[in-house]
Amino acid sequence: MSHATNTQTFADEVKAIPGGEHLELCYSCGTCVSKCMIQQKLEPDYNPRRLLRMVMMDMRQEAFTSPTTWMCSECDLCYSACPQEIHISQVIAAVKQLAVEAGYQSPLTPVEVNEDLCSGCGICVMVCPYEAPSLFEKEVNGEMDRLSQVDTNKCMGCGICVAACPLGAISREGVSNQEITDQLPIQSTQPPKLVTFICDWSLRESADIDILESYPADLVKVIHIPCTGRIDPQHAMMALDSGAEAVLVCGCKSGECHFKRGNYVATCKMNLLDTMLSQFNFPNKHIRFVQIGTQERGRIRHEIDAMLAEIGVLEVTQ
Amino acid sequence: MVDAARHPRIDVRTYTEVEKVEGFVGNFNVTLREKAKYVLADRCNGCGDCAQACPIEVPNYFEMNLAPRKAVYVPMSQSVPLIYTIDLDACIHCYKCVDACGPLEAIDFSQEDKVVEEEIGAIVVATGFSHFDPSVMEEYGYGVYPNVITSMEMERLNNSAGPTAGNLIRPSDHTNPQKLAFINCVGSRDKRYVQSCSNFCCMYSIKNAVLLKQMNPDVDITIYYIDIRTPSKGYEEFYDRAREMGIHFIQGRPSLITEDEQTHNLFVHSEDIALGRVIEREYDMIMLNQAAIPQPDQGHMSSVLNVAQSPGGWFMEYHPKLRPMDSPTDGIFFAGACQGPKDIPSSVAQGSAASSRASRILHSEKWEIEPTVAVVWPDRCSATTRGKACGICAKVCPYGAINIFDPETPAEVVTAKCHGCGACVAECPEDAITQLHFTDAQILAQMRAVLADEPEKKILAFRCHWCSYGGADLAGTSHFEYTANERGLRVMCSARMDTDFIYEAYRLGAGAVLYSGCHPQDCHYITGQLIGAKRANRLKKIFDRMEMTKGRFRVEWVSAAEGDKYARVLNEMQEVLDNIPPEELKAEIEKLKPQMSKRLRKFPGVPGVQEAMDYSDTLVDAIIHQKETA
Repeated sequence: MSHATNTQTFADEVKAIPGGEHLELCYSCGTCVSKCMIQQKLEPDYNPRRLLRMVMMDMRQEAFTSPTTWMCSECDLCYSACPQEIHISQVIAAVKQLAVEAGYQSPLTPVEVNEDLCSGCGICVMVCPYEAPSLFEKEVNGEMDRLSQVDTNKCMGCGICVAACPLGAISREGVSNQEITDQLPIQSTQPPKLVTFICDWSLRESADIDILESYPADLVKVIHIPCTGRIDPQHAMMALDSGAEAVLVCGCKSGECHFKRGNYVATCKMNLLDTMLSQFNFPNKHIRFVQIGTQERGRIRHEIDAMLAEIGVLEVTQ
Repeated sequence: MVDAARHPRIDVRTYTEVEKVEGFVGNFNVTLREKAKYVLADRCNGCGDCAQACPIEVPNYFEMNLAPRKAVYVPMSQSVPLIYTIDLDACIHCYKCVDACGPLEAIDFSQEDKVVEEEIGAIVVATGFSHFDPSVMEEYGYGVYPNVITSMEMERLNNSAGPTAGNLIRPSDHTNPQKLAFINCVGSRDKRYVQSCSNFCCMYSIKNAVLLKQMNPDVDITIYYIDIRTPSKGYEEFYDRAREMGIHFIQGRPSLITEDEQTHNLFVHSEDIALGRVIEREYDMIMLNQAAIPQPDQGHMSSVLNVAQSPGGWFMEYHPKLRPMDSPTDGIFFAGACQGPKDIPSSVAQGSAASSRASRILHSEKWEIEPTVAVVWPDRCSATTRGKACGICAKVCPYGAINIFDPETPAEVVTAKCHGCGACVAECPEDAITQLHFTDAQILAQMRAVLADEPEKKILAFRCHWCSYGGADLAGTSHFEYTANERGLRVMCSARMDTDFIYEAYRLGAGAVLYSGCHPQDCHYITGQLIGAKRANRLKKIFDRMEMTKGRFRVEWVSAAEGDKYARVLNEMQEVLDNIPPEELKAEIEKLKPQMSKRLRKFPGVPGVQEAMDYSDTLVDAIIHQKETA
């Protein structure tokens, strides 16, 4: 007396992939959706809870074309918040794997490698949190050469590799070196006092963004970057060189990076920069790296004010 | 409560701890520690002059630590009996209370704890529940943001006898909050903290919201929930009323609360599931509905009373549906949330049931028990044969029903305490204990009868009375098809499934044996299944060493609701047998027979077994003869 059939449902396929097992424990409480910042910041249709539901209801095509499948950057904020301990990013990764197998492609803009500049050093392979770049052999002018290539379905566009590439061979629309340096006040007659590089994910609430925008542009210049991992210490030096008195780099709290380990990469870089400047006896070392947690509403104001006070211009704001 | 205290036949003992419970139904011997109050109960009139004079203030537990109390105090103004107590941990021995008490001379610092023994007929346990500490959930900021409080704290703030005389104020600036939110399921339904639903919080938050809305219709109240559970009579109507009053309900478990550092207003981040959108809303004050958890000393209490705990830590009832107020130990009953989180109507119902159960004992001359109790043959006990009792029976008994007073006296079963699981019977290495109606001889006779004819084709299934027997029954009534070669044998508990029975089954040539019982948390005899499981695992290893084909001996825990599982297991076992060529199976059975016989060499010596064997042999002969003539 068995009603079992041999057809495998979409849910069965997802559950068969490691990480997808606990899918059906979801009771749709919505914690993951509100813990994640993608819906508020990027895509109103982004909703992990609904993706899990689509899998359970056998809605294969909808799941494969859902922005949730492609935009999850596996930061795992939702995993630590989920009361059912479902590893949601792994379930989404399982759906994504099936989507790629079915021939779907990521709608995100990936980074591009300029093969004329690439030396095949492999640093991008080491820094990428998503294992998107890999090295391959190619014949160039009759000689075998090693070059980097990027899996466009894995690239989340964080720009960590763009910053890491020693030859500037990698770029992505919106976060290329040129686009960031263009925003710096080079050759400006009235440079701002403070240049702030801000990771778009470190400020959760719109109230905090409002604080950032409340400073006059000739006092604080805000440069948005997708992740502090995108920061190149040269950008900070260039900002000082162009006349700004201080640089503030603002990223997410450790463990809360939207791109898994971008803030870790940034911490290493900023510490190295700090050590280097100390060794040079650099006179005005007003460069600071701060990490703001999701619950620290309003902290950005204190950090900017502290920086302005340090260079003696706080009274201007009051 | 006052009525109870005044009743001539009710003796209220407050500030008293139960230290030891011995004996059995109708004859408990309970040791109580009456803690020193340092105030003489017969002199104190509860006037409170001492508390007024006392200069020491400590947090008041009853007021959720929102208000102070003195070092000499009553827990609350309605305390029964109204006798003050001195908290010596806080007292500085200034003796101002002694002066204040004056001619009553009720204060006596020389008082000491008194240990008394009482003879008790029946015990009702009503120790209640405790609250989950929400400060471990950092995302809600309890203990960090002043305006995030628990609903219990809100109740005190809103109570006319509470610290603010019923004026609900928010802690940060003492203003009246206008925008309030309740958050349900804080810590409950959460695998990281408390897995279960706390049962009453939905109604509790609706009640509080309605109460606040009635007092001030202008306040804006929101309840965040995962699911609203209103399963009892009139509850759904109450939920409807709350919505009609304008209380907002948002389905979506908040993931984060942030605070504005200037105003101390709070921002709740959640998904509105109806909209599928993330929303951020501002509130003046937030109340958390924490999960209900067992009392911190519930484990200690369970060992004092010798009653088991369910997986969540609550006291375990005799039967979850049919006897929720009875403990597995006769004469001990549960009332209220100590057995599991429940609301007031359910607690009242269970309390009434428990007290009527208890009074049934108090009004009985005799107490009837199940007849399937264990009995010791004193002449076979190692205390008699070797002069030293091994004590295994006393160790395995889940009820502590076996007494071994000294090593030279045979074990003694306290019949009133015995529930008839049969653990001691199966474990006794001397076969010195038997269980009435489930004697070795009786079970053996059944085994020989079912294995009389073509035993190598048969699957002998040992089922426990409460679970796997029910599972097999359900498989039958649900028409789940399973192999017709199964032969079921019922015992009360998997703890009774003696190794001798399994060896004997294989010696008789059985094709396969199933060892089945309850899941560990379902065991009807507290820890009987654990004893059975341990033995079954030992048997598995033994049979592996004997190189028996895998699958011929199988151990499965099947609940009474798992008819499908029972059928599946049997079918899988049949498949194992089908996959062994008949000659190979016969050869294996013959090969193992001497080893089984060796392990069974003491078995025929058990009283009744030889007779049962002889008798059943004549039956078996008759069966085979009948078959041949047919």
